Amino acid sequence: MARRRRGIAAVVLIVAALALSTGCAQPGTSASAAITLYTCVTDTTVQPVLAAFQAAHPNTEVALFRAPTGQLNARVATDVRTGGLRADVIWACDPLTMQGYVEQGLVGGWTPRTDIPQSMRTPDYVGVSMLYLVAITRADRPALTAWAQLPGAGRVAVPDPSVAASALGAVAYFGTDFYRRLRDGGAVQVSTPDEVTTGVAQGLYDSGLTIASSAYAAERRGSPVTVSWPQPGAVAIPGPAAVSRSTNRPQPARDLVSFLSSREGQQVIGAAGSYPTLPGTPGPTMPAGAPTVQPDWQALAGRQDELLRDYATVFGG
Amino acid sequence: MATIARPLGAATSAMLVISAGAVVAVPMLMLVATSLGEGGGEYIRTLREPGVGAAIASSVELSAMVTLLAVPAGAALALALRDASLPGRALWRVAVLLPLVIPDFVLGYSWVAAYGRAGLTSQLLGWTWPGMQGFLGVAVIVSVSLAPLVYLIITVGLATRADPITERAARASGAAPITVLRTVTLPLLAPAVATSAVLVFVLALGSFAVPQVVGAPSGFRTMSAMIYAELTYGSDPRNFVQATTLAVLLVAITLLVIVPGDLVLGARLRLAGTPAADPAGLSGGRIGRVAKSMSLAGYTVASTGVPLLALVVAAITRAVGVPSTPGNWTWDNFRLVLTPRTGEALARSLLLALAAASILLVLALITAGLSRTRAGQAVGVLVTLALVLPGSALAIGLLLGYGRWLADTGAIILLAYLAKLWGLAHRPISAALDRLGPAGPQAARASGAGLATSLRTVTLPMIEAALVAAWALCLVTALHEVTMSSLLYGPDTETLAVIVLNTADLGQVGATAALSVIVTAVVALPGAALWAIGRRARA
Repeated sequence: MARRRRGIAAVVLIVAALALSTGCAQPGTSASAAITLYTCVTDTTVQPVLAAFQAAHPNTEVALFRAPTGQLNARVATDVRTGGLRADVIWACDPLTMQGYVEQGLVGGWTPRTDIPQSMRTPDYVGVSMLYLVAITRADRPALTAWAQLPGAGRVAVPDPSVAASALGAVAYFGTDFYRRLRDGGAVQVSTPDEVTTGVAQGLYDSGLTIASSAYAAERRGSPVTVSWPQPGAVAIPGPAAVSRSTNRPQPARDLVSFLSSREGQQVIGAAGSYPTLPGTPGPTMPAGAPTVQPDWQALAGRQDELLRDYATVFGG
Repeated sequence: MATIARPLGAATSAMLVISAGAVVAVPMLMLVATSLGEGGGEYIRTLREPGVGAAIASSVELSAMVTLLAVPAGAALALALRDASLPGRALWRVAVLLPLVIPDFVLGYSWVAAYGRAGLTSQLLGWTWPGMQGFLGVAVIVSVSLAPLVYLIITVGLATRADPITERAARASGAAPITVLRTVTLPLLAPAVATSAVLVFVLALGSFAVPQVVGAPSGFRTMSAMIYAELTYGSDPRNFVQATTLAVLLVAITLLVIVPGDLVLGARLRLAGTPAADPAGLSGGRIGRVAKSMSLAGYTVASTGVPLLALVVAAITRAVGVPSTPGNWTWDNFRLVLTPRTGEALARSLLLALAAASILLVLALITAGLSRTRAGQAVGVLVTLALVLPGSALAIGLLLGYGRWLADTGAIILLAYLAKLWGLAHRPISAALDRLGPAGPQAARASGAGLATSLRTVTLPMIEAALVAAWALCLVTALHEVTMSSLLYGPDTETLAVIVLNTADLGQVGATAALSVIVTAVVALPGAALWAIGRRARA
């Protein structure tokens, strides 16, 4: 009995020592990494992009922190309060988040020469990827041809704009009255666009508002759903990239943003399942001539709270 | 307990206070400092903001409902499984613990997949639970996830407090089984019931994943969800500060619950007791045993069996929404997640979870040993407060406190696990120590045994069950932890949580389900093997 207890105590001590040694060790990669990238872009996109960048710039290593927008923002906010932003480059998922960083003086002041349209660029950042909010319906129901049909499209699900930045873009474009009509027609709010996709695929809902990559992935895997780009168009949300104003390695950081906005980088982004922003670059499924619309991002900057408060009068919160 | 507290002495108290200060108080103080320094401490104004009052009310109502459901359910399970003559008791004892090994982030999904519209029961039986995606559904699912915790605490309580001789005497004197339960058994279990009630209330107050996934469609929103929403727009500094202010308010609400609970109940509940074997004569006869077996079977199948089956079905089906017939079965989801990167992350998570659980055992034992001292009581309250803090808020506090030196290292993730789970380990161990009579350790000391010998030969063996339960709880919870590690990880410290989050973020339900099946198996299979070996050794 006593031997067994001594054994247990030894195991406890060894495990604790092992973990402490693992825990206290500085990450090996970060010691040799030239730059750090913070992003909310999905892993399936960012990993091939970084592999291609490092193949093109073998002397530049990139340490990655990838997390959903909420965690990314929290990380940036704590960085700011503990010695400054640790990222050299930020690749965000919506312009409002990036505009917030610009207004805090964290990023910006430089953008690369690129053929990406001027509408996706500001003096501080450049949109290098795109999210499209589209309509998803059960395969046994008629696909939507216009957003105006959504309030009557059965049991509808919409994503929560206080959780998903892309959903906030839709609220900004459609306006609160549209959501009021949806609610009055029996629509419910779920957490994320992916939950809309899953819910419609499962049959929990008849139709909903989700991001194109999620909807097409479900359709490709065989889920009984139909994706449509209703008139006047899918809501486009650019994913902007910017260089940190406090980076100690400006050149490698600029190299990365330049790569993201280059023809080669855009091709990798397109092949990895995200929508590129450079015209003519192949990307994921998008019907020919699919209509797209965008809210006025510049006018919306700093108005998130107001938008969410208005929205909360419809879907609670 | 005083027999432990006295010799532990001032040095141990100081060490405990310093550890708790560094691990738990520093991150909390950083949150308070941020909300005061940048937000001006406008707690009253925040309370009056639209939605905040409703979110607080929702959180408190949810916690109250979960406490009302989970505590009686856990107590009933413990009492039913106390009967040594119950057929298949060893199997039931493992089965009722199963919800613990299902990660929170898939529990909500598995219930919707099991009982929701177009779920498994709808396909097989044509039956769904219409109100599941709302307050009651959230309350039931959170209760199912917490009932095993209550079961563990009360089982340990029964093992040391409820003396079958007293109960048999009551029965022999003509008392009906229900009278024995009400007048003898339950009063003896008061400390364990109170401990589990406080713990369940606090854990439910801080729950995030289930309310977010299951409650959102009905507009049900808790404080944790509101804090997460503020963080989502943290690129505006006002939102970040608002999130810290809401987190501080949540901690204040928790204080209002646990401090009176500890002060009023604490002293009254510390009664002497004697360890007891499981009784065989209190089963209520053959009919009683059959009724218990059927109730246990129904509960286990409904709470865990069907949701786990739905999870496995989702993992092996090629797409969401297609019938799960053999033609649609595939291993693709498993192939997608079984990569070297997942293996490395799993190994790292296991190591961190093992380390956290082992260190927590020592810290919780010292905290419990000192629980009659002011230092011990203060640390006890402090670590319970950390339990209710949303993981994201606690992680932010740690980054604010230690980010300059420890950002991106495994050490900060380990600190987060210690901070979050100290309370989880402390409460059951404290309850077990409370139930120990002073006679044994006193006799050992009087016979000349040193503190170490007294602890090793008398105290620890008597609370062995509580120690094992606390260690296992911390291990499983740390292994499943998502929110904190996804905020704290660095390039070489990616944990399983990060892989899970990345997979879930891509909306790959099948892959997430496959990963959850793997995580569940990683915990359940070695657990079952250890349990079998233990049974064999005992036999």
